Amino acid sequence: MSADKPGAVGSGPEHAGSVLQRKASLVDMLDPLSFGDVVDSLGELYRVGIRVLDERGRTLADAKGSNGDFCGFVNTTAQGRARCTALVARLNEGPLTPTQGAQVLPGTSPLGGELLGQPCFTGLRYVVLPVQWEGDVLGRVVFGPFAPEELADVPVALAELEGLELERARELLAHVGRQSEHRVVKMLAHVAQVLAALLASGQKAYLTGQLHLEAMLETQRDLEAQNAQLMRLNQRLKEADRIKSSFLGTVSHELRTPLSSIIGYSEMLAEGLVGALNAEQMQFVRTIIEKGNTLLKLISSILDMSQIEAGKVRLAFEWVDVQELVESSLTSVMPQAQRKGLTVKVHLPEVAQPRVVADREKLSQVVVNLLANAVKFTPGGGQVEVRLSAHGPQPGLVGEGYRIEVEDTGVGIPLDQRERIFQSFYQVDDSPTREYGGAGLGLAIVKSYVEGHGGQVSVTSEVGQGSCFRVVLPKEPPLSGHGPAYIPPPIDTDPERF
Amino acid sequence: MQLNHAQRELTLKIVYYGPGLSGKTTNLRAIHARARPEARGRLLSVETHEDRTLFFDLLPVFFTSSSGFKVKLKLFTVPGQVVHDATRRVVLQNADAVAFIADSRRSASAENNAYWRKLRANMREIGLDATQVPVVIQFNKRDLPDAQTDAELDEARKKGGEPVVGAVALRGEGVMETLHVLLQSAWRNLDERARLSRNISLTEKEFLTHIFQQMDLTGTSLESLYPTAAGRPR
Ligand SMILES: Nc1nc2c(ncn2[C@@H]2O[C@H](COP(=O)(O)OP(=O)(O)O)[C@@H](O)[C@H]2O)c(=O)[nH]1
Ligand SMILES: [Mg+2]
Repeated sequence: MSADKPGAVGSGPEHAGSVLQRKASLVDMLDPLSFGDVVDSLGELYRVGIRVLDERGRTLADAKGSNGDFCGFVNTTAQGRARCTALVARLNEGPLTPTQGAQVLPGTSPLGGELLGQPCFTGLRYVVLPVQWEGDVLGRVVFGPFAPEELADVPVALAELEGLELERARELLAHVGRQSEHRVVKMLAHVAQVLAALLASGQKAYLTGQLHLEAMLETQRDLEAQNAQLMRLNQRLKEADRIKSSFLGTVSHELRTPLSSIIGYSEMLAEGLVGALNAEQMQFVRTIIEKGNTLLKLISSILDMSQIEAGKVRLAFEWVDVQELVESSLTSVMPQAQRKGLTVKVHLPEVAQPRVVADREKLSQVVVNLLANAVKFTPGGGQVEVRLSAHGPQPGLVGEGYRIEVEDTGVGIPLDQRERIFQSFYQVDDSPTREYGGAGLGLAIVKSYVEGHGGQVSVTSEVGQGSCFRVVLPKEPPLSGHGPAYIPPPIDTDPERF
Repeated sequence: MQLNHAQRELTLKIVYYGPGLSGKTTNLRAIHARARPEARGRLLSVETHEDRTLFFDLLPVFFTSSSGFKVKLKLFTVPGQVVHDATRRVVLQNADAVAFIADSRRSASAENNAYWRKLRANMREIGLDATQVPVVIQFNKRDLPDAQTDAELDEARKKGGEPVVGAVALRGEGVMETLHVLLQSAWRNLDERARLSRNISLTEKEFLTHIFQQMDLTGTSLESLYPTAAGRPR
């Protein structure tokens, strides 16, 4: 409810201005152009002026009658003009009651309320029809001035106007349309009927339009509320994710320190620093060292991934010779490949010194990870091949760069898993008795690092035949210049583009 | 309600809510048919373009009190279709009383329940306190074979505090009675909260008489309450 001020009590401010609460107004319900045309044609039909005004005295339509010359002539005198102006003001905005010479006409007005007759000092007459709609007065229609049928001669009041040439006035008065009372009643009924029809359809159109709008705003408000809710939820999830990453980081760090000690002391044992070991002891110590190193690698990759996910990785860019980098990466997997009896082939470009702007350590980790994977998933007697080549501008990449391909003759990757292998913790072989070890982080790290360089990684594979991983690197990462840059945390890259 | 002391105007908003096709528009049509033309506006029915589903209906009823206060009732229906939830909320805003038009058929119970919950939800969403806005339940279509019995209506009455009125809106039965309970509840509620009677010098009896004197009450249980109904001018 509201008292005087709409929406003052009991309703939110957004509900205060509903079209259903507002009083109808002529301006809202009538189309000014077509309404003007209709009123013009009615005025022409009845040869009488018709003016439609709203409750604030604004003119909505104004059809000229046949009185123009006569009234214009009367208005050439100062007195005439003054009296005319006062009368018109009273007609337009005065009370709809019989005051100041106005009289209530017999019968009810066709739109409800009372009809007012208003004589003019020139002998002409006006009729005022209130526009009532649903019990409210929305405005008025002023008819005239017209000459009443019984008007014989110009009235005394006119003759008394200073400086008016009476003969000429008489002449012009004869040209003003005469209206019988019967004709006036018919005209009023007709105009009222037309107006009512226009108001009914106009009100309907107006209400529909406004309500549509309000309903849409309401829907939008609703959606925004839901959206805010989702954002809050999303924020909480991200926070949880961040906490997980930072927890993993801490834990990995805490694990690495004692593990390094275990390996270090074992190596000292193996080197005989505290005395010679017998063959069996030596074998045990070597196993400790080997398993310790495996565990250390695993922990390192968990730490890398948690830093990527926490958005904490910085790339230290410098000029890097890719060929040198590929060659040195190979040396770290060669012993394992030789142990499995794999053939390792290398194709390098003819050009000397293929250089890119990159983080040497991270890029090296990319190549080592790919090579280690190839070696790991290729059965004995198979082949691993690494190729380095230059490439021209490519879609999605800035400018020219280099392509590093690592191809194997291993187990291959089923089609439906080729996207997911780049996700953290994903394993192609998910069975509890996994044949191949690892935490499933290698490729996720590869993808993050490559993308951090503005590059792309992709895979082609045939199950049972082998796989080929392809890393495409631009010569220079976009937007970076030479300096440290963040790798965006992967969770944020796709959904929040804008 | 909208109360404008400066212009001496009071507007009350009554909303007919309920499932699609339960007879909301039929109620308004019956009121329109029984009200004297001087006391009501046109029945405005707004339809959506894609189908015949009514978007909403509006029927204004009005009178001027002996102390010169202009009182207007705006009777609205809400669209029953699920898709128009936003429109329902917009129409429901600031309602002074709600008529819940239920379909009496047993097969419609689930639908009635669903819309009842919707009404509660809508009221909550727009901040209308269900304890502050009177709701009247109409069991419409009591002429249909599958309709619930009087005993079942009594059962329904006991389940909650809302007045329950049986109706055959299509024949105009129960429509005036529903409106009467609605307006009476609305008035009492506003009088309690805003001292309406004293505020605009109009008693509940005068308020109801002004309205129902303008209605053709032939054949309704209200006929004896408002005996001057036979078309005497104000
Ligand atoms: N048999 C019967 N049919 C009714 C009654 N009231 C309404 N109807 C019919 O039910 C249908 C839907 O009515 P309507 O008023 O348009 O429903 P709304 O969607 O709630 O506005 C129409 O075909 C009406 O004629 C009633 O009391 N008895
Ligand atoms: Mg309807």
